[in-house]
Amino acid sequence: MVATLVVSSRGLGRLQQILAAGKGASTSCAVLWRRGYSSQQEQVSHKVDLPIEMESPYKEPPKRCLLCGINVDYKNVQLLSQFVSPHTGRIYGRHITGLCGRKQKEISKAIKRAHVTGFMPVVYKDPTFLNDPKICDIRHPE
Amino acid sequence: MQRPEMASALKRTIEALMERGAVVRNLENLGERSLPYKISKHNQDHRRGGYFLVDFDGPSTIVSTMLDHLGRDVDVIRPTFLKHPVPKTEECSGIIPVNYEDKLYTKKK
Repeated sequence: MVATLVVSSRGLGRLQQILAAGKGASTSCAVLWRRGYSSQQEQVSHKVDLPIEMESPYKEPPKRCLLCGINVDYKNVQLLSQFVSPHTGRIYGRHITGLCGRKQKEISKAIKRAHVTGFMPVVYKDPTFLNDPKICDIRHPE
Repeated sequence: MQRPEMASALKRTIEALMERGAVVRNLENLGERSLPYKISKHNQDHRRGGYFLVDFDGPSTIVSTMLDHLGRDVDVIRPTFLKHPVPKTEECSGIIPVNYEDKLYTKKK
């Protein structure tokens, strides 16, 4: 709709100014309205920002005992002698050897088998294995 | 013990095994060494001996008869029969830390 105005030549410039201002105001009003709508859209997608659930990256790998992955055999007298007292030939307990449950049982079964089958001495440690690297230290268990 | 005597003793035991229906797979010589302790058998004290390992497949009833037979053999000091070691699943997951707080109180109600 075009407003028909009888404009005198003197007020023409003024009218143009008013029209221009009016147009600018209307456009700025439209922009503001658009901005408001877009901010509402941003609030909807805000939930994507929450932390993702995952396993702790700082988790250490589980501790492994000395014999993890090593096959225990009753014929391997040197290995078995490392878990036996040099003075009495007694088998060291779990708190001294530091082995996990399975391996401690395997070692103790293998030692008893070696005693019976005549591979390992019972009441003392074989003298040839006395200078082996010490795994079990009685004075500082664990 | 001299070699021919040892060889004849081994031959005897393996033939006895095969008589009772065993299939001998392998025979290993683990060497001759001094025994870890003095073994007295057949009115004699032994301090040195030869170790042999016989791999065989056979019925489970063979064990008692063979122990009887080898007990009477003068050349055999300590006969032993063991099962084949079964290779276990190698999934050693390491030492799992035990939660002692849970163990302190019983779950019974």
